[in-house]
This record gives sequence, structure tokens and C-alpha cells, in this order.
Amino acid sequence: MLEIKNLQSAIEDKKILNGINLTVNPGEVHAIMGPNGAGKSTLSAVLAGRADYEVTGGEVLFNGKDLLEMSPEDRAREGVFLAFQYPVEIPGVSTTNFLKTAINEKRKYQGLEPLEATHFLKFMREKMELMEMDKSLTSRSLNEGFSGGEKKRNEVFQMAMLEPTLAIMDETDSGLDIDALRLVSNGVNKLRDGKRSFVVITHYQRILDYIVPDFVHVLYKGRIVKSGDASLAKELEAKGYDWIKEEVEATTI
Amino acid sequence: MSMLKNIQEDFKQYLSQANESDAFVQLRKQAFVEFEKLGFPTTKHEEWKYTNLKGITERDFLATCETHQSAKAVFNSSIYASMQAHKLVFVNGTLSNELSEVKDIEAGVLIGTLAKNRTSHEAIFKNHFGKYAKVEGEAMNALNTALLSDGAMIYVPTDHLVSKPILILNIADATQQNVLAQPRNLIVVEANASATIVEVYLSTGANASFTNCVNEVYVGANAHLEHYKIQQQVGESYQNNYTQLFQEGNTTINHVTLTLEGTMVRNNLHFYMNGEQCNSVLYGLYITDHKQHVDNHTRVDHAKPNCFSDEKYKGVLKDQSTAVFNGKILVHLDAQKTNAYQRNQNILLSDEATVNTKPQLEIFADDVKCTHGATIGQLDEEPLFYLRSRGIPEREAKKILLNAFADDIAEKIKIPELVALLEQQIDAKL
Repeated sequence: MLEIKNLQSAIEDKKILNGINLTVNPGEVHAIMGPNGAGKSTLSAVLAGRADYEVTGGEVLFNGKDLLEMSPEDRAREGVFLAFQYPVEIPGVSTTNFLKTAINEKRKYQGLEPLEATHFLKFMREKMELMEMDKSLTSRSLNEGFSGGEKKRNEVFQMAMLEPTLAIMDETDSGLDIDALRLVSNGVNKLRDGKRSFVVITHYQRILDYIVPDFVHVLYKGRIVKSGDASLAKELEAKGYDWIKEEVEATTI
Repeated sequence: MSMLKNIQEDFKQYLSQANESDAFVQLRKQAFVEFEKLGFPTTKHEEWKYTNLKGITERDFLATCETHQSAKAVFNSSIYASMQAHKLVFVNGTLSNELSEVKDIEAGVLIGTLAKNRTSHEAIFKNHFGKYAKVEGEAMNALNTALLSDGAMIYVPTDHLVSKPILILNIADATQQNVLAQPRNLIVVEANASATIVEVYLSTGANASFTNCVNEVYVGANAHLEHYKIQQQVGESYQNNYTQLFQEGNTTINHVTLTLEGTMVRNNLHFYMNGEQCNSVLYGLYITDHKQHVDNHTRVDHAKPNCFSDEKYKGVLKDQSTAVFNGKILVHLDAQKTNAYQRNQNILLSDEATVNTKPQLEIFADDVKCTHGATIGQLDEEPLFYLRSRGIPEREAKKILLNAFADDIAEKIKIPELVALLEQQIDAKL
């Protein structure tokens, strides 16, 4: 589904990603962990198509198509979803209208008719129940005045509505207390259907107690330096990142 | 020739037929003297620093009551043709009986023209005409007073409620030549009464038009007025629009100006609060492109204590368009406990668009709450990226964000057709 080959990226001439290789198959959950400054956020930004990140080498294929050539909206309409680390507040835009537009744009891209208003509302109600979303959130302006937890839950709710085939979660756990983390993780787990894939980018192992990954990769200095299963995350939690750093320094010398 | 010469000839012609014993004629003569003394405003005047009439006034613009089929076509293709409203339609300043429609009005309510009613409703005319829009020092008001063509005369008596909106629609028809139209509207809403007025400006024809309009509005104690000004003159069109609202105690006025088209539009909107507990809203939105120039000068006179004014003007500018905002709040010595807000916010969609903004407060009382501020910026990248990352194309995302920007202005508009027009215009200008 997703093939990242030797991906390199720089921001203002500073190299951040130094050749990332990663393959994600349908239904898999990959966690990408790493210390601060390892390039985690850059990786998600490049995959989402942020303009200020320059790709200096390598390629990313999504279902065989060149992802890096696509506009951010086309990536979304092809089935990629990015859960933002800092979801943006947009006063004056209602969550409901925003989601209706997004869903119908995707349907248009797929050559489908727009959803009728009643169908859309029914669909939204179902997803709200599934995600245990408070009704008041969708009648308010998008993320305006939402708490940190509400914003992250709204991201997962949007994910449920847009039904992507690949979800990239950028530090979704940051700033969440344990109850909010559980709610968000439950939401994500409900969307695991054996076909949808997830890339969970995180600094801490905590979220992986709830969203159990199939693979864990350690990102350091813009490269994946170690991969393993869920137990690698536990090891990192117990021992920190220093031993990885030492290992890397030793092998590069 | 020039516009000045055209005007001088027009006035000579007018005087040759006028009855000198009529007080109205005397008033117009005085106004013409004032206009000739002042001349057209130039950029040397502080209030006209950024709006230059020179190139326009050097050309010929003729006052004419000629109308053409195209004016009718413009009206019929507008949203106003089907709007549920009392309609007074003026083409080049003269009433079009064919396009106007006023029916089922209550006894005592007047929805008509100045030309027809100034003598039949002499007391109202005498009490209010020329009392609010001053001529001294105001060249364009003086010019309008001297050579006004015609306009609406609206009277809502005490305790009356006119539920249907009253539409005053002006069409500049420049099919044959450059035209000068000088509409003059007098609106009197007496105590405890309520009305909705929608002023609309449209245009047609390949030549240029200059509309110099003056509105005088009196709102009696405890009365309520909804007042909308919608400017949609296309082609080469110039407009100077002066509106003076005079409000007695306990009145509420909700005013919204939408400037959607026009080569050059200069608005002067003045509120004078002559009683306590007045509540005034002045909201405006201008959406400009190409080389459009929109200048909003506003002035709110808090002359009495305990009044509230809420002013917000927003602009979206594209291409090489320019906008001016100059908002003055004047709190008089007696006007304690005044509460006044004023904001001007602009989004520039191009590197070549320009805004000159000047919020001003002059406060002579010592126990007041006044805030003002202005911002000029671009459409934020973050929300735009957020919407795009959900599959919404860039153009659609911009539209959503601009509608959100205009949302608080749209909220003040209580006529759904006008809100829809605003959204449609944002879409068209993108």
C-alpha cells in the first residue's frame, strides 16, 4: 500500500530525512518512534504534502502511484488521512458543513454523486455514536474553543467519516491525559478492520499500550535505525533512547 | 468640457425654469453657491487623501433622464426582481413606474418619491430635508442638494411597523453616454416604528457613470431600523454615497454596507446619537478585484450618554485593488458611559493590493469604554492546509475560509437573498 524508498528531505537546506525506507501493507499498524529532532514530524509533513518541506531524494508510492507528485487534497482523496498534532481552529466554519464538503469532494473525485443531506446526517450520526462524540461538537465551529482532548477526538472522528485506507497519526498522544488517550485510542481501534493501515508517529510508548502495533521502527537522525515488533516499544520505554543512539554511533564509526 | 461645466450649465437651465419664491429653490441656490466655493474635493483634503476624483471630474458626465431597455434587463436579471419587497426603482435618478411596485401599504405610511411628495407632505419635508446631511464644507452634498434628480421619500408614522423590506434601487444607465445621477433619499421612521430599508446600486451600459447620492435618515425614539446598502455597479462606475442617520433615544439601528462591485466607491456613513440608550450597528464588507477602489469613511457621534455602537468593516482584496477605511468615533463631553467598538480587518489575496486604514477615537468624556483596531493580513496557510488535507481543493478551501471571514458580517443581514448574494460574490471573485 505505502512504499517509502530512500526518502530524503530538507528544510531551508538543513537535511532532516536521510533515506527512509518503509513498506506498509494493508491492515498493518506501524509505529514510528524516536527522540526529539529525529525527523518524525518532518516525515508526516512530507507524507501529507506540506509545501515548506522540500523532498531532495527518494520516492513514495501509494497504491503504486507517486504520492509526492500529488497535491494535499489529492492525497486525501486517494485515501491518505493525516491526524494533526495541532489541529487548527477555524472559526466560522461548522464541523458539519466542513465534513459534508470533504466527503462530497472525495466522492466527486471517485466519480460518485454527492451524498444526499439526509444520508449524510444519518452517516454522521452513526459515526458519532461509534466514536462516542458529543453532539455539541459538530454544531460548533471547527475545533474552535475545543480542549486538547476534544481536538484529537475530532481528528479521529474525521478519520471515521472520511474512511481513509491509510491513516498517519502525528503525535496524537501529545498533550492528552490518560482518559482522553483511552477515548482516542478506542476510536482508532474501532477503525482497525484488517484492511486499513496506520502509521502511528509518537515520542512515547504510552499510546502503543492501547493501539498495539504490528511493527515498531526507531527513527534517529533522519533514518530508521531499528525495527522490531511491539516489544521494541516496551524496551524503549524501559531503557530510553540513549542505547539506540550509542548503537548507531558505534556502527557508523 | 468637464463635469464642472456640465453641472454649471445644468444649474443655469434649472434656475431658468425654477420658481424663485419656492424655499426649496432657495435652498438649492445656496447649496450651489457652496459647491462652487468648495469645488470638487481633491487629495489635498485630509478626508480625500486616498481617493482621487480628478481624472473623473475632468470628463463629461451628463445628467439625463433617458432610460433604455438594458436598465430593465439588469433589474429583471437581478435578485431584486423576485424579492418580496416594496420597490422604488430609479433609472438615472428618475422613477421607473414600470419597474417599481408599491402595494398594500397601511394608511399613513408613505413610500414614494421626493418629487411627488415634497409638497403634499410638506411638513415632513420641511422638518427633515437638509437637516442632517450638511452642505457647509461638504462639496458633494452641496452638489447633490443643488442638482438632485429625484429619490425616495419614506415616512413611517409613530407606532407603525412596515414588515416588508423597502427597496430603493438605483440603476445608472450609461448606454448612450457618460451619465451623472444624483439620487436623494429621505427616510423618516417615527417613534416606536420599525422598517427595513435596502438601498441597491446597479448599472448598465458601456459608458461611464457617476452616482452622487445623499441619504438622510431620521429614526424617532424607541424606533427600529434595518438599513442595508448594496453596491453592485459594474463596468466603469463611480459612486459617492453620503448617508447621515440621526437617531433619538432608545433606538436600534442595524446597518450593513456591502460593496461588491464598482470602479470607485466612496462611502460616507455618519451616525448621530441624539438620545440615550441608542444601540447602533455599522457593519461593512468590501470585496474588490482588478483596479477597484473602495473608500469607507464612517463617523459615529456619541452625543448623549449610555449609548452603544458596534462597528466592524471587513475587506477582501484581490489584484491591484485598493481600499481605504477611515473610522471616527466622537464621544462628546456629555456622553458618559459610552460603549463603542470599532474594528477593520482586511485580507489581501495579492501582493499588489493596498489598504490604508485609520481608526480614530476622539473622546471628550471621561467615563467611557472604547476600543478600536485594524488588521491587514493574508489568508492563513495553516487552516488552508488543514482543509486541503481533508480532500477539499484549494479554491474551495479558500472559499470556505473567506466565507468564514465574512460570517460575522453576514450574520447581521436578516434578508436571506442578500446573504446568498454575498456568498455568490465571494465565489465569483475568487
